[in-house]
Amino acid sequence: MNSISLKARRKFLKGITQNVAIASTGGLIWASLLQKEARAMPSAMRPPGALDEKDFNAKCIKCGQCVTACPYDTLKLANTSDQTPIGTPYFIARDIPCYMCPDIPCMKACPTGALTPKLENIEDARMGLAVIDIENCLSWLGLRCEICHRECPVKDSAITVEHHPRKLSKHAMFVPLVHSDACTGCGICEKACPTDEAAIKIVHPELVQGSVGEHYRLGWENEGAITQEFTPEKMRSDTSVDVEPGGLDYLNTGDL
Amino acid sequence: MPDTLSGKLGVWKYLILRRITQLSTLLLFFGSAHWAWNYNELPVISGNLSSSLLLGFIPLADPFAVLQILATQNTLLSEVLTGTLIVLAFYFIAGGRVWCSWVCPINMVSDLASRVRRKLNIQNAVQISRRFRYTILVLALVLSAITGVAAFEWISPISIFHREVIFGLGSGWAILLGIFIFDAFILKDGWCGHLCPLGAFYSIVGRFSLLRIKFDAPTCTHCVECVTVCPEPQVLDFKQATSKGYISAGECTNCARCIGVCPENTLKFDLKPWIKKQELTINNQQNLTTKTDNLNETDHGRKIA
Amino acid sequence: MLDINRREFLKTSVAASAAATVGIPVSSVQASAAKEAEKDWQWDKSVCRFCGTGCGIMVATKEGRIVATKGDPDAPVNRGLNCIKGYFNGKIMYGKDRLTKPLLRMTDGKFDKQGKFVAVSWDRAFDEMEKQFKKTYNEKGPAGISIMGSGQYTIPEGYTAAKLMKAGFRSNNIDPNARHCMASAVVGFIQTFGIDEPSGNYDDIEYTDTVVTWGANMAECHPILWARVSDRKLADEDHVKLINLTTCSNQTSDIADLEIVFKPGTDLAIWNYIAREIVKRDAVNHDFVNKHCVFATGPYDIGYGMRPTSKYAYDAEKDIQAKELEIVLDADEAIAQRKKAGMIVKQENTKVPVKHWLIQFEEFKRGVEPYTLDFVANLSKADADESLESYKNKLVQLADAYIEQSRKVVSFWTMGMNQHYRGSWVNEQAYMVHLLLGKQAMPGNGAFSLTGQPSACGTAREVGTFAHRLPADLVVNNPKHRAFSEGLWKLPAKTLNPKVGTHIMKILRGLEDGEIGFTWVQVNNPFQASANANHWIKAAREMDNFVVCSDPYPTVSAKVADLILPTSMIYEKWGLYGNAERRTQGWRQQVNAPGDARTDVWQMLEFSKRFQLKDVWGEKSIPGLKSDGFEDGKLPDVLTEAKAMGYSPEDTLYDVLFAHEENKKVVWPDPAVAKGHANSTSDWLGDGWFPEKALFNEYRQFGVGHAHDLADFDTYMRDDVRGLKWPVIDGKETEWRFNEEYDSYVAKGSGFDFYGPALKSLKSGDLDGITNKESTSLAHKAKIFFRPYAAPPEQPDANYDLWFSTGRVLEHWHTGTMTRRVPELHRAVPTALLWMHPDDAANRKLARNDIVWIESRRGKIKAVLETQGRNRPPKGYTFAPFFDEGVFVNKICIDMTCPMSKETDFKKAAVKVYKA
Repeated sequence: MNSISLKARRKFLKGITQNVAIASTGGLIWASLLQKEARAMPSAMRPPGALDEKDFNAKCIKCGQCVTACPYDTLKLANTSDQTPIGTPYFIARDIPCYMCPDIPCMKACPTGALTPKLENIEDARMGLAVIDIENCLSWLGLRCEICHRECPVKDSAITVEHHPRKLSKHAMFVPLVHSDACTGCGICEKACPTDEAAIKIVHPELVQGSVGEHYRLGWENEGAITQEFTPEKMRSDTSVDVEPGGLDYLNTGDL
Repeated sequence: MPDTLSGKLGVWKYLILRRITQLSTLLLFFGSAHWAWNYNELPVISGNLSSSLLLGFIPLADPFAVLQILATQNTLLSEVLTGTLIVLAFYFIAGGRVWCSWVCPINMVSDLASRVRRKLNIQNAVQISRRFRYTILVLALVLSAITGVAAFEWISPISIFHREVIFGLGSGWAILLGIFIFDAFILKDGWCGHLCPLGAFYSIVGRFSLLRIKFDAPTCTHCVECVTVCPEPQVLDFKQATSKGYISAGECTNCARCIGVCPENTLKFDLKPWIKKQELTINNQQNLTTKTDNLNETDHGRKIA
Repeated sequence: MLDINRREFLKTSVAASAAATVGIPVSSVQASAAKEAEKDWQWDKSVCRFCGTGCGIMVATKEGRIVATKGDPDAPVNRGLNCIKGYFNGKIMYGKDRLTKPLLRMTDGKFDKQGKFVAVSWDRAFDEMEKQFKKTYNEKGPAGISIMGSGQYTIPEGYTAAKLMKAGFRSNNIDPNARHCMASAVVGFIQTFGIDEPSGNYDDIEYTDTVVTWGANMAECHPILWARVSDRKLADEDHVKLINLTTCSNQTSDIADLEIVFKPGTDLAIWNYIAREIVKRDAVNHDFVNKHCVFATGPYDIGYGMRPTSKYAYDAEKDIQAKELEIVLDADEAIAQRKKAGMIVKQENTKVPVKHWLIQFEEFKRGVEPYTLDFVANLSKADADESLESYKNKLVQLADAYIEQSRKVVSFWTMGMNQHYRGSWVNEQAYMVHLLLGKQAMPGNGAFSLTGQPSACGTAREVGTFAHRLPADLVVNNPKHRAFSEGLWKLPAKTLNPKVGTHIMKILRGLEDGEIGFTWVQVNNPFQASANANHWIKAAREMDNFVVCSDPYPTVSAKVADLILPTSMIYEKWGLYGNAERRTQGWRQQVNAPGDARTDVWQMLEFSKRFQLKDVWGEKSIPGLKSDGFEDGKLPDVLTEAKAMGYSPEDTLYDVLFAHEENKKVVWPDPAVAKGHANSTSDWLGDGWFPEKALFNEYRQFGVGHAHDLADFDTYMRDDVRGLKWPVIDGKETEWRFNEEYDSYVAKGSGFDFYGPALKSLKSGDLDGITNKESTSLAHKAKIFFRPYAAPPEQPDANYDLWFSTGRVLEHWHTGTMTRRVPELHRAVPTALLWMHPDDAANRKLARNDIVWIESRRGKIKAVLETQGRNRPPKGYTFAPFFDEGVFVNKICIDMTCPMSKETDFKKAAVKVYKA
């Protein structure tokens, strides 16, 4: 009787241990797969209104309703062999760019908010950012191309043309410049670019965009003028010597 | 198995019905996406099994997928939450794992694997507890919370296959092949009965759902035909079924295979509130106890008659 | 089903979370959110903390913390731009190891020079400081104490320090680190013009056709000015010429038309070659020269500013040190000085190196005659890979650029010419060329000395925190200047000490030989910044002395000290700086200093309360004092006269020098100027006056009417003022000095007037010495000096076979005290590299990124080797910046100085480099 129940208990414990072992090994592999996917550098162009990559990946339920809603067949769902996280919608601008429907049907189709309904105006969409390869851009080489500028749906704010002198001849260059404050990342420029490999490409802004430090403002843009009624911080009266002062580790150790 | 066609049809009735619902669900999604099937110019059903919009205004959503997203500490739009509630309500009525046997496209693969297995008389290569799926269910939620992405949704063969059929994406078939091989040659009912956390989730829903397999104990001859065909044979606990009057385990998929094969009409669909409690004789009880205990112990690697 | 409230709630929370998490926020959302966050920022104008360019910045404060800065768009110097150091002004105060408590070396609660640093109260700190100060002061007199100050002092700080030392303690032993930086420029100015600081201003850049940089890597060290120069070049690319003369190819060469890489020290010969060309081609502007200039020269045998004794030298140092007494002329030097090679020359004029006399133009011509193209090209060509013909061609082009009549020329220089064993000479040679051509003191024409520290001009030079100076170009060894200062300061006659004090190198040497027993380091890191550092660190730690260091951060100097005083930084106090173009700029206090850190002014004023007149104004012994009207070796007791003036012997220096009746009238709070800003100095003093303003306005009286006119304190604080270039006459600044069109000090009708009053009466002679002892007045004239080439005393030899020079990189400033606390700057340039020619590296079997030893006669240090990148030294030459205390380059640099200016030559050491 005792030996039987002991045996049963041993079997039971063995079973539990095995299950726990399988669960934890499997779980670790599973988790590492997910971590890798979830932290992968964003590379795909997302539909308008997509949250930032991390939140988008969390919220997208991979239902494809945005894909169905897109009248241009721009959007695709990523499959197992794609670089993009599986099942999520993306587009390849060089194939079919986003034509910026004013009613944003893809965003409206999204049931979860991964494409945020906060986006009211398609021109506020930030799907990506156009980046020009100035070594291979025909306009930057001096040719009169500027197709991207002319094709841009938010021309003259997202893409402008500046006139630079050309060192090699007496002809001015018409060089296109992209402005991130207005570029929606629709990719029409990339689609339209006439070079073999597009010299203007939509990329994920995180891959190319920096940010000026929070501690600095541009003097010629920022309006902050001298404050006339300054409110200073109250004078402190803490003069106790009990507080651990800075710098002691360095001062009291090591040679000179 | 009856020899006559009508007899066979009787046995196959539910199987045929299930295939029809499974295929037509797929077809509806596919048709809406590819042939623009519509109702009042709105797609009949857009999206896929993860989340969809029926007739342009009824949202539907996979409650387990939604639960995983919520576990990532993200808020969701009310549309998908409403869809979740609608779906939950449906399975609350129709039986939790009706999803598995009537809707999920994987079911066709696992049924096929089951059949091949029976034909070729294949033994299990590994042994895993059927409770293991609950571990995976918990793991899916925990990993969602840790990694910030819906853990199961990122690897779910169901979603991958369904998406790839509807959106024509290619490599989904490989996943079905994988499941088929696993189920046929490695572990009986391996995916659906042991691993799938979605099935596990619906099993929990199934504990409370209304549509049940009624068990008319006095008519039962203990021929165990039902146990032989049942993909989740542990649910056929005659002792409990006798006391409750119906198959009470959440893991029952309401596939109705047992109804088809039962020579005595002991098993029937019925709604829980209408099922009366059976009175049991001591004799009956003892009989049943022995048989079901045996059955339960020989569940794995059981010889098929 | 969800009830409607819950749904609404979810909807709004979704919206809120979406706005918070959208990576690239919807543009309008972004803009308004940013605006909202900046709503309660308080902006004020201020100045960049770093170099001598003097860029204006705007500072934003929120809840007692600097939250942001921006370049001041209204500042004429920088028009809203900053370099990468300026970009981080807002972060320099927030390093993790900021000092917040006075720290005293103690064992068992008592001061112990060998003890560990322990936090103490300010009272305890001052008690010990007073005790140690008085011990030295009573033993050694005013000559035994010293302050090592700074060109980073604000004007009120420098003035407080100078007055406390000179009028209070009667000691001239105060000298700034600016000594290391532009003392040679000062000698050049004073000897040439009789008054300090440039005649031109930065607008010269926009007016000129030619910018010649001499030993100035402006691209890295004056980045904002270089942006202006580059813009000038781009505006007229074919006509505007940039010429970079350097010993090491650098970033400044990148857009230059001509790069001349010369051997260290041979700039002396190149300038003379240009002068010879001017004479040969008869390009001298005779009209200008005859009217406004005279010719002069001085002795050559003036030594190299090293110790005259080998007593303290390491064995390895002795051969070079011996050259302080006599040298053997090498072949080139012999030609350059018209003497015989191999001749032994005793250095007989080391005591009076500044002596000079008038010569005739013919003598000047004789002086420059040996500097032919062949001679100078052979002497100065540094790059072994360059052909002599190509190099000669460049020298000719250089001479052409200066001489071309219609071409305007600005010569800029910094440490390459100032930190030079003949720094004063080479500065004078720049004026020599410009004056010969008449290209000086007019828009777009002039020799322009740039400075390295934010107030090298404004404080060190104008206030006169030097061992020999008083405010506004006055000097201590001039009885009239002392009398004038004593009058202004209301001191009894002969309070001021007539003996020139110890310059900064001599203070450090004084610690070593025991002459200095007390030193106070302020706004300075001399133990890292001074050459031959091993000596001075040992002296401070092992000799019987007391070193006080006021610093916001634990620097090498703090670590060497016995007492550390935690100190406020730039935006934690009121202040004014003066930049290299004579522009004085002021700012208000924006935030409070952390913990117990206090302003330098407060520290000095508090310390002055501990001295009564009877402690300091009695008879004092000054060894070596010899001056008319003074008993040899003694300062007289002036207490009797002080009593007659109404002072009591018990009055404190605080009462007499600082918080006197006049100054107490300058009350704090001062709402009209403060506009709400606090003043920690006033608050901590607590006696109701405004020290920074009172002291500035007191100081200002020195210059008014003496061509050093500053506006009053309130003017500089006005919203519409972004600094003013002195002399400020009737509220109007002076753009070009000595030029009648712009400078109201110029005698009417003269056109040009070099009115500087110093050294304007000279004896005359020939190139070899004085022949006529009768003095001639040179009022209103500038001097054109002939100065010969002299060879550097330490040169590469068989053992130490490479040149070594130190300097800066754009990212870090000085000893890195502030910039290395900015994580981003530290990340960008974490450590100092040793730059070397790739062939030199290969010959030593070294590769890029190897860790190497750099060894000189004075010590050795480790650094990482670099053979490419921003500096491209010629073969035989190496460079490492000095910002990194981990690569302590001053342990290997030689402490020779220009004998006239006492400015150290950090640019010409001989080293060997081998694998570590």
